[in-house]
Amino acid sequence: MMNRKDIFNKVSRIFKDVIEDENLTIKESYTSNDIPEWDSLVHIMLIVETEKKFNIKFLSSEISKWEDIGEMITAIESKI
Amino acid sequence: MITDFNLGDSFFQDFNVTEEIVNKFIELSNDKNPIHINNEVARKKGFKSRVVQGNLQNCFISFFIGECLPSKDVMILSQTIKYKNPVFLNDILSLKVKISGIFDSVNLIELSFNFKNKLGDLISIGKINIKSTK
Repeated sequence: MMNRKDIFNKVSRIFKDVIEDENLTIKESYTSNDIPEWDSLVHIMLIVETEKKFNIKFLSSEISKWEDIGEMITAIESKI
Repeated sequence: MITDFNLGDSFFQDFNVTEEIVNKFIELSNDKNPIHINNEVARKKGFKSRVVQGNLQNCFISFFIGECLPSKDVMILSQTIKYKNPVFLNDILSLKVKISGIFDSVNLIELSFNFKNKLGDLISIGKINIKSTK
Protein backbone atom coordinates (compact mmCIF):
# COMPACT_ATOMS: atom_id res chain seq x y z
CA MET A 1 0.00 0.00 0.00
CA MET A 2 1.47 3.32 -1.05
CA ASN A 3 1.43 6.15 1.42
CA ARG A 4 1.20 9.81 0.48
CA LYS A 5 4.99 10.19 0.43
CA ASP A 6 5.34 7.26 -1.98
CA ILE A 7 2.70 8.81 -4.24
CA PHE A 8 4.45 12.18 -4.06
CA ASN A 9 7.77 10.59 -5.04
CA LYS A 10 6.17 8.80 -7.97
CA VAL A 11 4.44 11.99 -9.10
CA SER A 12 7.75 13.83 -8.78
CA ARG A 13 9.31 11.25 -11.12
CA ILE A 14 6.48 11.77 -13.62
CA PHE A 15 7.06 15.54 -13.59
CA LYS A 16 10.81 15.04 -14.19
CA ASP A 17 10.14 12.65 -17.09
CA VAL A 18 7.43 14.70 -18.78
CA ILE A 19 9.26 18.02 -18.41
CA GLU A 20 12.58 16.29 -19.14
CA ASP A 21 14.40 17.97 -16.29
CA GLU A 22 16.16 15.74 -13.78
CA ASN A 23 16.78 18.71 -11.49
CA LEU A 24 13.12 19.68 -11.26
CA THR A 25 11.76 19.71 -7.74
CA ILE A 26 8.09 19.96 -6.88
CA LYS A 27 6.08 20.74 -3.75
CA GLU A 28 2.49 19.89 -2.93
CA SER A 29 1.70 23.60 -2.94
CA TYR A 30 3.04 24.10 -6.48
CA THR A 31 0.76 25.08 -9.36
CA SER A 32 1.54 25.64 -13.02
CA ASN A 33 2.58 29.16 -12.04
CA ASP A 34 5.57 27.72 -10.15
CA ILE A 35 6.87 25.59 -13.03
CA PRO A 36 7.43 27.64 -16.22
CA GLU A 37 7.52 24.55 -18.45
CA TRP A 38 4.06 23.45 -17.25
CA ASP A 39 2.05 24.50 -20.31
CA SER A 40 -1.14 23.00 -21.72
CA LEU A 41 0.64 20.17 -23.56
CA VAL A 42 2.71 19.31 -20.50
CA HIS A 43 -0.49 19.34 -18.44
CA ILE A 44 -2.11 16.78 -20.75
CA MET A 45 0.97 14.56 -20.71
CA LEU A 46 1.21 14.77 -16.90
CA ILE A 47 -2.34 13.45 -16.67
CA VAL A 48 -1.71 10.72 -19.25
CA GLU A 49 1.50 9.55 -17.57
CA THR A 50 -0.12 9.66 -14.13
CA GLU A 51 -3.04 7.53 -15.34
CA LYS A 52 -0.57 5.07 -16.87
CA LYS A 53 1.87 4.86 -13.97
CA PHE A 54 -0.81 4.47 -11.30
CA ASN A 55 -3.18 2.48 -13.53
CA ILE A 56 -6.07 4.78 -12.71
CA LYS A 57 -8.49 6.97 -14.65
CA PHE A 58 -9.50 10.54 -13.90
CA LEU A 59 -12.59 12.44 -14.95
CA SER A 60 -12.07 15.74 -16.71
CA SER A 61 -14.41 17.31 -14.16
CA GLU A 62 -12.15 16.33 -11.24
CA ILE A 63 -8.96 17.45 -12.97
CA SER A 64 -10.37 20.92 -13.51
CA LYS A 65 -10.96 21.28 -9.77
CA TRP A 66 -7.34 20.67 -8.73
CA GLU A 67 -5.71 23.82 -7.45
CA ASP A 68 -2.25 22.42 -6.82
CA ILE A 69 -0.14 19.27 -6.95
CA GLY A 70 -1.33 18.34 -3.46
CA GLU A 71 -4.91 18.04 -4.71
CA MET A 72 -3.71 15.90 -7.57
CA ILE A 73 -2.00 13.61 -5.07
CA THR A 74 -5.17 13.46 -2.98
CA ALA A 75 -7.10 12.38 -6.07
CA ILE A 76 -4.54 9.65 -6.80
CA GLU A 77 -4.64 8.55 -3.16
CA SER A 78 -8.40 8.06 -3.40
CA LYS A 79 -8.11 5.81 -6.47
CA ILE A 80 -5.35 3.36 -5.54
CA MET B 1 -14.29 11.94 -31.06
CA ILE B 2 -12.98 9.34 -28.59
CA THR B 3 -16.05 7.22 -29.31
CA ASP B 4 -14.80 6.78 -32.88
CA PHE B 5 -11.81 4.83 -31.54
CA ASN B 6 -11.37 1.58 -29.63
CA LEU B 7 -8.34 0.43 -27.70
CA GLY B 8 -6.41 -2.14 -29.74
CA ASP B 9 -7.88 -1.13 -33.10
CA SER B 10 -5.29 -1.30 -35.88
CA PHE B 11 -5.05 0.53 -39.19
CA PHE B 12 -2.86 -0.14 -42.22
CA GLN B 13 -1.72 2.03 -45.09
CA ASP B 14 0.90 1.51 -47.83
CA PHE B 15 3.11 4.25 -49.24
CA ASN B 16 5.14 4.14 -52.44
CA VAL B 17 8.46 5.91 -52.11
CA THR B 18 8.63 7.11 -55.69
CA GLU B 19 11.38 9.29 -57.09
CA GLU B 20 8.81 12.02 -57.68
CA ILE B 21 7.77 12.05 -54.01
CA VAL B 22 11.37 11.99 -52.79
CA ASN B 23 12.33 14.84 -55.11
CA LYS B 24 9.38 16.88 -53.87
CA PHE B 25 10.48 16.24 -50.29
CA ILE B 26 14.01 17.36 -51.13
CA GLU B 27 12.62 20.51 -52.73
CA LEU B 28 10.41 21.20 -49.72
CA SER B 29 12.94 20.42 -47.00
CA ASN B 30 16.01 21.60 -48.91
CA ASP B 31 17.87 18.64 -47.37
CA LYS B 32 20.38 17.89 -50.13
CA ASN B 33 22.91 16.02 -48.03
CA PRO B 34 24.97 13.96 -50.51
CA ILE B 35 23.87 10.69 -48.94
CA HIS B 36 20.32 11.53 -49.99
CA ILE B 37 21.00 12.58 -53.57
CA ASN B 38 24.20 10.84 -54.69
CA ASN B 39 24.34 7.08 -55.18
CA GLU B 40 28.15 6.96 -55.17
CA VAL B 41 28.41 8.77 -51.86
CA ALA B 42 25.76 6.50 -50.35
CA ARG B 43 27.58 3.37 -51.59
CA LYS B 44 30.86 4.55 -50.10
CA LYS B 45 29.08 4.80 -46.78
CA GLY B 46 27.83 1.23 -47.03
CA PHE B 47 24.34 1.69 -48.48
CA LYS B 48 23.11 0.09 -51.70
CA SER B 49 21.99 3.45 -53.10
CA ARG B 50 21.00 6.94 -52.02
CA VAL B 51 19.12 6.89 -48.72
CA VAL B 52 15.71 8.52 -48.56
CA GLN B 53 15.31 11.11 -45.80
CA GLY B 54 13.78 9.45 -42.75
CA ASN B 55 11.55 12.44 -42.16
CA LEU B 56 9.61 11.63 -45.31
CA GLN B 57 7.90 9.07 -43.07
CA ASN B 58 6.59 11.96 -40.97
CA CYS B 59 4.88 13.31 -44.11
CA PHE B 60 3.21 9.92 -44.55
CA ILE B 61 2.11 10.02 -40.92
CA SER B 62 0.73 13.52 -41.41
CA PHE B 63 -1.39 12.23 -44.30
CA PHE B 64 -2.49 9.19 -42.32
CA ILE B 65 -3.58 11.14 -39.25
CA GLY B 66 -5.24 13.87 -41.26
CA GLU B 67 -7.00 11.74 -43.82
CA CYS B 68 -7.24 8.06 -42.88
CA LEU B 69 -8.53 7.82 -39.30
CA PRO B 70 -12.23 7.28 -38.48
CA SER B 71 -12.50 10.94 -37.46
CA LYS B 72 -10.97 13.97 -39.14
CA ASP B 73 -11.56 16.07 -36.05
CA VAL B 74 -8.07 15.40 -34.73
CA MET B 75 -4.73 17.11 -34.43
CA ILE B 76 -1.28 15.79 -33.56
CA LEU B 77 -0.08 16.92 -30.14
CA SER B 78 3.24 15.11 -30.09
CA GLN B 79 5.09 12.46 -31.98
CA THR B 80 8.24 10.35 -31.64
CA ILE B 81 9.97 8.25 -34.25
CA LYS B 82 13.01 5.96 -34.06
CA TYR B 83 14.65 4.89 -37.29
CA LYS B 84 15.73 1.27 -37.46
CA ASN B 85 16.64 0.71 -41.13
CA PRO B 86 17.15 2.90 -44.20
CA VAL B 87 14.60 3.57 -46.90
CA PHE B 88 15.52 3.50 -50.58
CA LEU B 89 13.88 4.76 -53.76
CA ASN B 90 10.93 2.65 -54.90
CA ASP B 91 10.49 0.95 -51.53
CA ILE B 92 6.89 0.34 -50.55
CA LEU B 93 6.41 1.15 -46.89
CA SER B 94 3.60 -0.43 -44.92
CA LEU B 95 2.41 1.64 -42.01
CA LYS B 96 0.68 -0.10 -39.12
CA VAL B 97 -0.97 2.09 -36.51
CA LYS B 98 -2.48 0.67 -33.33
CA ILE B 99 -4.51 2.50 -30.70
CA SER B 100 -2.42 1.90 -27.60
CA GLY B 101 -4.14 4.24 -25.18
CA ILE B 102 -7.33 6.21 -24.75
CA PHE B 103 -7.40 8.96 -22.13
CA ASP B 104 -10.92 10.36 -21.91
CA SER B 105 -10.03 12.77 -19.12
CA VAL B 106 -7.89 14.83 -21.48
CA ASN B 107 -9.53 13.71 -24.74
CA LEU B 108 -6.29 12.15 -25.96
CA ILE B 109 -5.58 9.04 -27.99
CA GLU B 110 -2.15 7.43 -28.04
CA LEU B 111 -1.16 5.62 -31.21
CA SER B 112 1.79 3.25 -31.64
CA PHE B 113 3.08 2.81 -35.16
CA ASN B 114 5.69 1.11 -37.26
CA PHE B 115 6.79 1.20 -40.86
CA LYS B 116 8.03 -1.97 -42.57
CA ASN B 117 9.27 -2.46 -46.11
CA LYS B 118 8.11 -5.25 -48.38
CA LEU B 119 10.97 -7.47 -47.19
CA GLY B 120 9.52 -7.22 -43.71
CA ASP B 121 12.40 -5.11 -42.39
CA LEU B 122 11.40 -2.82 -39.57
CA ILE B 123 12.04 0.71 -40.80
CA SER B 124 10.86 2.78 -37.87
CA ILE B 125 8.74 2.74 -34.75
CA GLY B 126 7.10 5.51 -32.79
CA LYS B 127 4.20 7.00 -30.95
CA ILE B 128 1.73 9.74 -31.80
CA ASN B 129 -0.58 11.55 -29.40
CA ILE B 130 -3.66 13.01 -31.03
CA LYS B 131 -6.41 15.20 -29.61
CA SER B 132 -9.89 16.12 -30.70
CA THR B 133 -10.42 19.43 -32.45
CA LYS B 134 -14.21 19.34 -31.89
